[in-house]
Amino acid sequence: MSSQIGIVTKFEIVRQLKKPSFWVAVLLMPLLIGFVFLISFFAGAENVDTTAHLSEDTVVAITDDAGVLPKDNPFNLYKTQDEGIEAVKKGDADLFFYIPASFLTDKKAEFYHISEGLEIFNFDGNALKQILSQYARMKVDELDAMVIAGEFEINDNKLTTTGEASNALGKAIIPFMILAVYFIFMVMFGSRLLMTVVEEKENRISEMILTTVSSKHLIIGKIISMLALGFIQILALVIPVAIIVFFNRENPMVASILSIIEISPESIFSNVILFLFSMLLFAGLNTMVGVMVPTARDASQYIGPVVVGSVFPLYFMQLFMATEPSFLVHFLTYFPPSAPVALMLRSAFGTLSPVELTIGLAEIVICSIIVMRIAIVLFQKNAINFEAVKLFKRK
Amino acid sequence: MKSIVEVKNFKMAFGDKTVIKDLSFDVKKGEIFGLLGSNGSGKTTTLRALLGFYEPTGGELLVDGKKYDPEDSSVTIGYLPEERGLYRKESVIDTMVYFGELKGLKNPRDWSMKYLKRVGLLDKANMKVEKLSGGQQQKVQLGITIMNEPKLLILDEPTKGFDPINRRLLMNIIDELHKKGTAIIMITHYMDEVERLCDRALLLKDGVARAYGSIADIKKEFGGKSLDQIFVDVYGGVDE
Repeated sequence: MSSQIGIVTKFEIVRQLKKPSFWVAVLLMPLLIGFVFLISFFAGAENVDTTAHLSEDTVVAITDDAGVLPKDNPFNLYKTQDEGIEAVKKGDADLFFYIPASFLTDKKAEFYHISEGLEIFNFDGNALKQILSQYARMKVDELDAMVIAGEFEINDNKLTTTGEASNALGKAIIPFMILAVYFIFMVMFGSRLLMTVVEEKENRISEMILTTVSSKHLIIGKIISMLALGFIQILALVIPVAIIVFFNRENPMVASILSIIEISPESIFSNVILFLFSMLLFAGLNTMVGVMVPTARDASQYIGPVVVGSVFPLYFMQLFMATEPSFLVHFLTYFPPSAPVALMLRSAFGTLSPVELTIGLAEIVICSIIVMRIAIVLFQKNAINFEAVKLFKRK
Repeated sequence: MKSIVEVKNFKMAFGDKTVIKDLSFDVKKGEIFGLLGSNGSGKTTTLRALLGFYEPTGGELLVDGKKYDPEDSSVTIGYLPEERGLYRKESVIDTMVYFGELKGLKNPRDWSMKYLKRVGLLDKANMKVEKLSGGQQQKVQLGITIMNEPKLLILDEPTKGFDPINRRLLMNIIDELHKKGTAIIMITHYMDEVERLCDRALLLKDGVARAYGSIADIKKEFGGKSLDQIFVDVYGGVDE
């Protein structure tokens, strides 16, 4: 009865949605992102205020023993360093810069200002660099000033061997984001699926449930519900990030990243397909571990190797970036636990041929089906075994 | 009368340990059948093999002429297992509705509320299962087991831990189902229950049937003794 799958799915989704812990897990990451964004936003605002303060109201005092500044400058000049420090202490000056006679050789100046308590955002000593830079520019022509300050851009034109424009990094960004989502999914989804599979045994309810619904329908229902909940969690993460990026699209750093992003339909399509089928394999592996152990606590020791095996290719990122895949890269591409991440990496870097993609996908699908079938049989046969399955018999 | 359960030359071993040597019996449609034996005699193992949790070492176990498969909706089974448990963090009513939907009830909420009222748990409907006492949880489990009026009801020590009032309530429920034509297999250590309720019984010892037939026939075979005495005789007295 396929309707039983729907009933199991609905039950599992509703009961998870009712749990406060689910919403904590869902909202924690977006809240953290929002918090970091707000911090950086206010930090930026604070910096702007400081600059404005410096340019308009700040009383700047300078002792210039090196003779860098011209005589006609708007600053309060003090003859000695001690006088300048005294002025700051008395409140006659907000900032005091001391440019020693050894400035040219030591390349060091001193900056004094009042700071009581922990003040993260305060006057910036770099103001001296700006002041000195302005006066230095007056002494040379505009072109020399620009060259010395490095105030120009260099456009990076990468070419392929056939002479076409190459933008491997830009093309890799979206496929990499899909890989990142898969990674997040693995971390969040794995443990939850495991818990829900083990739950029947932990609650001693396996016999009752398995005479009501087949282990196949029960497991499929559980996996579908966990996938649906995983997508809710991913949306809760992706949407705030997308909003933040949208409202900061003028930000130079964000704009520069957005400008290099290039849509590579093949890589994106490959990674989406790989993502979907890899989830099945990962779900199957988790389910298999879940049915072999009596409690969620026992499961945690077995699930570690599954996750490590899955993310193993990330340790060899450099090898995956090479245009000619090494033996290890080939091995990880076709080794079932590591295949999903390896294939996604190679797809992102553009080193995965359509034939390799097809073989990899077929392997993932076949392994998923095998693992899932084993999990279903084990679930039925191990439902009333409240001890961990012994993989090796003691003689 | 046709059989709803047929066990033919059933053998079951776990590694070197043989639990069932050779067991054959049947359960007729609409009868109450007592499966009797001391602890560890293989009663629960037999039921688990019948329901597909164990693969028999030999022989066959059939429900309505076929190996039991929960996907086959032609046979409805209610099973109250020896291992008791429910979703502890869920409410009583949500748990019952879930099972009711799985069992294909048209209005599981209404059925569950009526049942909870009957067994005196209506005020606990929205309470989490873990807040209920053991006996109250057992009543909820029984409700789940019988909610679809199964063709075959299997009860593994259904009155274990019940006080006399709740035992009587359970017996009434079993009796009602029996009158509606449900075949019932009951494992119990209370011989008075067997004498009062069961049409036939099987006494299991050392993996074989020591007595099998109608209650009257079994008594006759053992010289008219009570079932309680027959049980003691078969098991060779009380271990001190």
